[in-house]
Amino acid sequence: MPELANLADLAHVHLLLNHFPTIGMILALGLLLLAFMRKNDHLKKVSFEVIFLIALATLPVYVSGQAAAEALKGQAGVSAEAIVSHNDAALGSFMMMELTGFLAWLALWRIRRAGRPTTGLTYTVLILTVLTVAAVARAANMGGDIRHPEIEGGQYAGWFGTSAASGGFISAAGIKDFVLQHPFVWPTCETLHFLGMSLMFGVLLIVNLRLIGFLRGMSFAAVHRLLPFGLMGFGVNFITGMFFVIAASEQYTQNVAFHYKVLLLILAGVNFLVLTVYDEAWSLPASADAPLSGKLLGASALVLSVGVMYFGRMLPFIGNAF
Amino acid sequence: MLTSLEQSSFSTWLLSSNSIWAYPTVLTLHTFGMMVLVGAALMIDLRLLGFGRGIPLQSIDRLFRVMWGAFALNAVTGTMLFVADASKRGPSLIFWTKLSFVAIGLVMAVMIRRRNFESGAEPVVISGAAKRLAIVSLLAWSAAITAGRLLAYVA
Repeated sequence: MPELANLADLAHVHLLLNHFPTIGMILALGLLLLAFMRKNDHLKKVSFEVIFLIALATLPVYVSGQAAAEALKGQAGVSAEAIVSHNDAALGSFMMMELTGFLAWLALWRIRRAGRPTTGLTYTVLILTVLTVAAVARAANMGGDIRHPEIEGGQYAGWFGTSAASGGFISAAGIKDFVLQHPFVWPTCETLHFLGMSLMFGVLLIVNLRLIGFLRGMSFAAVHRLLPFGLMGFGVNFITGMFFVIAASEQYTQNVAFHYKVLLLILAGVNFLVLTVYDEAWSLPASADAPLSGKLLGASALVLSVGVMYFGRMLPFIGNAF
Repeated sequence: MLTSLEQSSFSTWLLSSNSIWAYPTVLTLHTFGMMVLVGAALMIDLRLLGFGRGIPLQSIDRLFRVMWGAFALNAVTGTMLFVADASKRGPSLIFWTKLSFVAIGLVMAVMIRRRNFESGAEPVVISGAAKRLAIVSLLAWSAAITAGRLLAYVA
């Protein structure tokens, strides 16, 4: 398996990508506010799509941050405390980001049935987007404190005080201790990870086999109803997967199989978004065949999800062993 | 007998070969088969329990074929994995618990198909009996996965 990136590359990836969540969510918030001002439902839909994509892009930002922390470990001029505070703030904002992304997806999914964005969900996404912008900007600001000598030295205390002073209730070290000190946690998470995977893949199977044309006689609108179960399975796997990454990050950050897994996961996420909003197929009746673009979309969804499973299962065998 | 199985040249190859095509690939195929088999079963169960009502039962009849194909793959890969570790798996209670739940899941699939799919007619309402089968199926597959996963940690 060819290497994608070493630890130093990943630290660069982190520096490259780490502005996307903050700037992306500010842009998404602007779009959403504009949509409210213009009373434009289509623009609301676009805002939800942007929020989903930014939430997806935040995944490599968070995991590359773990690699960056390892690359910086023990280097002169780097505050270990600042890294810990940044990591905790990042984890909190990451959780909010994913919750917002999930609800933005739910809003997109509801549009299919309701015909327009529903009020309650739209306002919930708006409020969560505001909170996420604040949380992610705080995390980014604290990340900047890790090594920027020009703003250190007492003249600049940072908008949020010194980084080391933060003591939020989300602590990556606390999660790590919880997972590693209780022998039941890891196997339980593994079991849930396999159950979530089966649920998610079952939904992808029925939806995409319909798109490809293997399953017939059901309308796309009918299978569209099952999509939330797929995202529910993904949610279980996202949470349990984060437990693994936080508890044993060095097992993953330098594992080429994990790099491929994250890459395929992002592609699968984009595929899932396209699938959710794919108008050409969802309006077709039960007897109709999907256009070629739909068949390709369905086939790539199945290939990508099998690929994610493959690299997950191969984590202990490709690259560094556990 | 379990020991002689385990000492066969096949078992030695599967476990000790450094090839990615030995143990890792067989294990990954087993996981793939599980994901397809249980995924398809869960969809049929959810449909019977009232989710995705717009999906006609007849249109998902083909999922049973997908399930049998995935089960065939897992019967083969599962046998390979058992043979490689026979003296450890043979006396393991968790292992036999897993196989029992797999058997229950398969029996449920056969019963569900016989009662709800083979007549070819679309039922107006899903009977309580069919829903009970679906619940047993959901629980059996979840339990089979749980036991299977615990094999890697407990047994």
